[in-house]
Amino acid sequence: MRKNYLLPLMGSLLVATTAVGQTRAVSGRVTDAGGSGLPGVTVLEKGTSNGTSTGTDGSFTLSVPAGATLVISSIGFETQSVLVGNRTNLPVTLRSNATELGEAVVVGYGSQSKADLTGSVVQLGSKEVANVALPSFEQAIQGKAAGVFIESGSGKLGQGIRVRVRGVSSISGDNQPLYVVDGIPVVSDNLSSTSAATNPISDINPNDIASISILKDAAASAIYGSRATNGVVLITTKRGQQGGTRFTVGYQTGRSEPTRKREFLNAEEYRTLLTEALQNFGSSAASIDARLTRYAAGQADYATNGVDTNWQNETFQKGRFSQYDISASGGNEKTKFFFSGQYSDNNGILVGNRYQRINTRFNLDNQATDRLKLGLNIGLSRSDNQRLPNDNAFSSPMQIVALAPITPFIDPRSGLLSGVLDPSTGQPNSTYPFYYNPLISVRNGNYLTTSYRVLGNAYAQFRLLPGLMFNSQLGTDIINQDENQFLGRVTARNTGPTNGFGFNAATTSARVVVNNFLAFDKVLNELHTLDFTLGTSYEATQIKSNSVTGSQFASDSYKTLVSAAQITAGATNQTENTLVSYFGRASYNYAGKYLAGLSARLDGSSRFGVNKRYGFFPAASAGWLISEESFLKDNAVLSMLKIRGSIGRTGNQGFANFASRALYSGTSGYVGIPGQRPLQLASPDLTWETTTQTDVGLEYGFLQGRISGEVDLYLKKTTGLALSQPVPGTSGFATLFKNVGNMENRGIELSLTTRNIEGPFNWTTSVNAARNRNRVTKLDGPPILGNFLNRAQEGQPLGVFVGPEYAGVDPANGNALYYLNTTDTNGNLNRSTTANSNEAELVPLGNPNPTWTGGLTNTFSFKGFDLTATLVGVFGNKVFDGGAQFYSTGFNNGPDNQTRDQLNRWQKPGDITNVPRAEYFGGNGIALSSQFVRNGSYGRLRTATLGYNIPVAVAQRAKLQSARVFVQGLNLLTFTDYKGWDPEVSTDYLAGNSNPTTGVTNTQGNINQGIDFYTAPQPRTYTIGVTLGF
Amino acid sequence: MKKILYQAAVAALLSTSLLTACNKKLDVDPVDNIDASTALATSADVEAAMVGAYTGIQNVDAYGGYFQLTSDLLADNGDIAFVGTFIPPNQFQRKVILRDNGFVQTMWLNAYNTVNRVNSVLGAIDRLDTPGKQARIEGEAKFVRSLLYFDLVRLFGKAWNDGNPQSNPGVPLVLTPTTVISAASQVSRNTVAEVYTQVIADLTTAENLLPGSNGFFANKYAAAALLARVYLQQGNYPAAAAAANRALQVPGGALVPSYADEFTSNNDLLGNTSEDLFAIQVTAQSGRNELNTFYSASRRGDVEIQKQLLDQFEKGDTRAKLFRTLSGVVYTTKYDVLYGNIKLLRLAEMYLTRAEANFRAGTSVGASPLSDINRIRERAGLPALTTLTLPAVLKERKLELLFEGFSLHDLKRTQGSTSPPNMPTEVIPFSSNQLVLPIPLREINANPNLVQNPGY
Repeated sequence: MRKNYLLPLMGSLLVATTAVGQTRAVSGRVTDAGGSGLPGVTVLEKGTSNGTSTGTDGSFTLSVPAGATLVISSIGFETQSVLVGNRTNLPVTLRSNATELGEAVVVGYGSQSKADLTGSVVQLGSKEVANVALPSFEQAIQGKAAGVFIESGSGKLGQGIRVRVRGVSSISGDNQPLYVVDGIPVVSDNLSSTSAATNPISDINPNDIASISILKDAAASAIYGSRATNGVVLITTKRGQQGGTRFTVGYQTGRSEPTRKREFLNAEEYRTLLTEALQNFGSSAASIDARLTRYAAGQADYATNGVDTNWQNETFQKGRFSQYDISASGGNEKTKFFFSGQYSDNNGILVGNRYQRINTRFNLDNQATDRLKLGLNIGLSRSDNQRLPNDNAFSSPMQIVALAPITPFIDPRSGLLSGVLDPSTGQPNSTYPFYYNPLISVRNGNYLTTSYRVLGNAYAQFRLLPGLMFNSQLGTDIINQDENQFLGRVTARNTGPTNGFGFNAATTSARVVVNNFLAFDKVLNELHTLDFTLGTSYEATQIKSNSVTGSQFASDSYKTLVSAAQITAGATNQTENTLVSYFGRASYNYAGKYLAGLSARLDGSSRFGVNKRYGFFPAASAGWLISEESFLKDNAVLSMLKIRGSIGRTGNQGFANFASRALYSGTSGYVGIPGQRPLQLASPDLTWETTTQTDVGLEYGFLQGRISGEVDLYLKKTTGLALSQPVPGTSGFATLFKNVGNMENRGIELSLTTRNIEGPFNWTTSVNAARNRNRVTKLDGPPILGNFLNRAQEGQPLGVFVGPEYAGVDPANGNALYYLNTTDTNGNLNRSTTANSNEAELVPLGNPNPTWTGGLTNTFSFKGFDLTATLVGVFGNKVFDGGAQFYSTGFNNGPDNQTRDQLNRWQKPGDITNVPRAEYFGGNGIALSSQFVRNGSYGRLRTATLGYNIPVAVAQRAKLQSARVFVQGLNLLTFTDYKGWDPEVSTDYLAGNSNPTTGVTNTQGNINQGIDFYTAPQPRTYTIGVTLGF
Repeated sequence: MKKILYQAAVAALLSTSLLTACNKKLDVDPVDNIDASTALATSADVEAAMVGAYTGIQNVDAYGGYFQLTSDLLADNGDIAFVGTFIPPNQFQRKVILRDNGFVQTMWLNAYNTVNRVNSVLGAIDRLDTPGKQARIEGEAKFVRSLLYFDLVRLFGKAWNDGNPQSNPGVPLVLTPTTVISAASQVSRNTVAEVYTQVIADLTTAENLLPGSNGFFANKYAAAALLARVYLQQGNYPAAAAAANRALQVPGGALVPSYADEFTSNNDLLGNTSEDLFAIQVTAQSGRNELNTFYSASRRGDVEIQKQLLDQFEKGDTRAKLFRTLSGVVYTTKYDVLYGNIKLLRLAEMYLTRAEANFRAGTSVGASPLSDINRIRERAGLPALTTLTLPAVLKERKLELLFEGFSLHDLKRTQGSTSPPNMPTEVIPFSSNQLVLPIPLREINANPNLVQNPGY
């Protein structure tokens, strides 16, 4: 058998050698309409895999046989075929075209030309994500793909990011898309030991990305079966191209600051309003004076001593950003390589927050024989994330705004930061300031998460027959995460008087993926194009972790747990899941006009209950390229018109391992005596969530593609939600995980690109907009309550705010009022009001999901200058200001400093205002109600980049092939009615996903949307950078 | 061509063989947890499940702190001020509880979760390998279950002496382990009387079955003590006096010489003393003393002690030494021990219960009421009384058992009243709906058979 194998290989080697003998070198330069050299353009000998890509100045060299045709393509440009003939020098000018039909689009287990595509796919190129001063690439594509909603949630670095493709389809399961890097589904699960999620996707260097394909409809995504409902993001990394080794180095540096600060009372206003609130509570003048003196570090002259601490300013810092890049790529016709390295260092806008990352990547391709191609992709990264406490922690820097402005920053009694030392006890203050000062934890503690990641795969492509390729891929994704926390003695008020506190956790997540598939394509009679893919896949993911917690350190100088005299907790955990899959795709194209596609996947998952082990996910699609019909061909106005439609089924298995099993837990030991308890009930029928998606799309181009775009209509119906359903707590269980309930997303997506001006001065506009309407159509059970007012409730969008409706302030007594909203037997709504919020009916108060999202990108270029600006918009969503119950309630919930709008409080009978009477711990108006539901719509100038490419002639004098300098701004402008820090918000401790290792399941992360709880705003960042090619 | 076909076949074979091997790979078993069907196989398994039930009552949502704090804040009329930023206790102190109060929900869920642990033990009681173990574990299980039901019915239902307990809704009685969720899981509320009957029956069984000595787990005397507490709540004074008297017979039991010894220590642990009949165990590795978190000035210092309370102590009362002043604010030091055990049933309560029950019944079971009260006073460094009045008994009880979770239940039992901190003139009588917790909103949603308490 071995012999048989080798013979044809050797034969083909001979053929290859002969072919090489007849080639000659062709060189050329590819430019755009304005004459600027285009880097990274693919130059391919037609019908072969012989190719290269252009250098930074657009030039290329390739050895081809005489009579060869070169196919020159680049994302965003029309593909050109050029007959080489006898020429050795080929100047090529590419026309830009955002919807170029010849463009190769990466799809699941292969690629297809844009023209043949019958599914809904958005593909973005490297320039959309390169050199943006953000830790993770998803943030950079915000507003660039219709129907893909991206939300950072918080201005903390390295935290989880919400990516929602066509809405949310799951209540208790995962809603993030499946991420596939170079064919290998990668781990994107949250591995954080805190309830605030981290983002493993930020381990990917954005500058390594060659393209991003987002598979949106079932036709495109069903080949990923039980993990495809939330869309699939395919990331392809850069590869080497034939030609001399080219180097690129880049450097970027910048500063950042919060996009917005909130206005709180100053010292005088605080004194006045708190005095009023205490008087209303019934406090005597003496006790008020004593209280204010206490708040003012015991300084009786608090009214005149001039202390006016702006605590908010103390928690923000000027962020610093710097990034260094180097890459080298090249190769000959047999072996090509791409190598890159990056170091980035991001000091956030919050004190103590820093994210550093170092990446290297090595991608190698080798054409071993005419039939066999081998390759390797390895990405290594290390990230250091200096994290901050969760938003709801007293030690979270943003909670500093609760402190009184009459409290001095430096306590005059100790000369130290307020709260660090009580000279009367020699210990840290335990009751002053009135809340723990979070800066004590920032200055005397840290939480460092270090993550090492190896993302690698080896592949082989073997041509069995002409047109029949066997592909084999072996991939691994290994994450080693180390979390190290230390809190010094002075943090005792927050951590307990334990002489220091230490925590360490190590997590290893190892995934192995094996893909084997056959790909076959054939053209019959030059009319029928057939394309088949058939394969199998096996995936196993094992996560192991261990952790230790300790206290009692000899001094703060000892920071590792070896010095902890008391070990208070320790654990090891292990979990695993496997997936066995069979998949296939067939596409058929008749005469380049009529398109049809079928795909399917059969997924077996260890997560599913014994009764439902395998899920089948088929999809069918069809398309008609009307513009290829004779009656439209060569039409001067309408240059392209295609309609396509698809229907298919996808699944979601993004829930906890072993959710189907009846389990006991051994974690309930009692002071050293072993104990166990029932953990969860059996759900033997538990299986994937099923989504049936219908999509109809129209692609169009006018005036040779100067105006082009797409329109998609979709309907996603999800049934059998894997739901953490509330059950009567009297059963001993709070929830049961089972497949009940339905959800629906329907929407429209529009995208339009116009090349407004072409020539030396170029102006292109890309705009996209998407409307999604989400409804929980059936729950088969009670509504599921989130942490604040969010709910999953039948007939309402997921996460809808439901609560008492605020009716303003009673002019007679200043009480907060709520509408009863009860319905009598005749169906009449009772709109009279009550001061007792318990009497008010709980009614829907707003939808945290945006109705419209979109983006507008304008690109201008002139001579060597280019300017790109992306404006994103999110409309129709509501934000729940969760901290308002403390800082916008006129001291009714305690002494927390108040927002300035509280100065409009009710003071005396007859006052007409919306702000209730201030009363210290009065409880007036503290009910969570529509009073704190705000309009969260916003528009934001997300990125603006101005660049200058130094003319090649000038650059070459400095022995450079290219040189580019640029300035960039992130979040320069925000337009919103929201009065809080930032309408792009989702507080970290509630929105986090489950952690698969520790088994900490947060099945409410999808319900708790749009909550602001002392959440840091996004940074506004300015950077300047340079990129040199040589 | 043949060769090529052969190669294609090899490739296909390769793929399929990879797959068949994979099907077995779907059988992945959990490592951290075990299958419920094998969990209670042996005698030791059932014993471990019983230990798991103690961990349930150790939880902060039960006797780790919330039950006691809820009772004391709801009844408070200005003795203390809760100044923390936690909303649920604030609502308790204001006596304006919103139906989505977080503590109310977690107290309910944890209590029933623990009841299910107990029921699972009782369902597997025949697996214990000796009659002795069987009796002990059944006794412990019934003790823990009645402890929870007694507090649930007192917090979520009207008081025994408020209207008709035979018709007032109490809490649902679930007495069998849950293995599936079905229509039968949508239980209704049993009456207050039915819950009390179950509690008394369980405790009577427990007292009979439990050994006299059982480490820090429940023993015969703890069951008698809890029974005394139940009878006292019902106003069944002869039974209360008798049960308290039985509890006081615990071998080796004695009040510790100084009140402070019961609550303070010179390290961060506080063990059981000769005075303790039953205490929640806490160590650095197990459990959390949430009373320490809320009350202690070395922690959150959320509870400020008001002059009104301090003025109630007689001069020389050593119990008044368990306070300290920081920046002009007074805090209790009763819970300053970071990992201190939480005392649930101690002899001092039994002396006070026996005294009150005897006093009210006009009996002297075990001892005269006066001698019992004077025993408490003597330990507190106070002169002996010569005559006794009911207010004197109740005052002694209050100051002795301060912050131990008795306030609300004693207020209801004695038909007292309270008022919110910001409205000292407003009178909230013991029968007010405001002093009964709402059935948690999530529970009402999940179970249509549950009737909400009036006022919510």
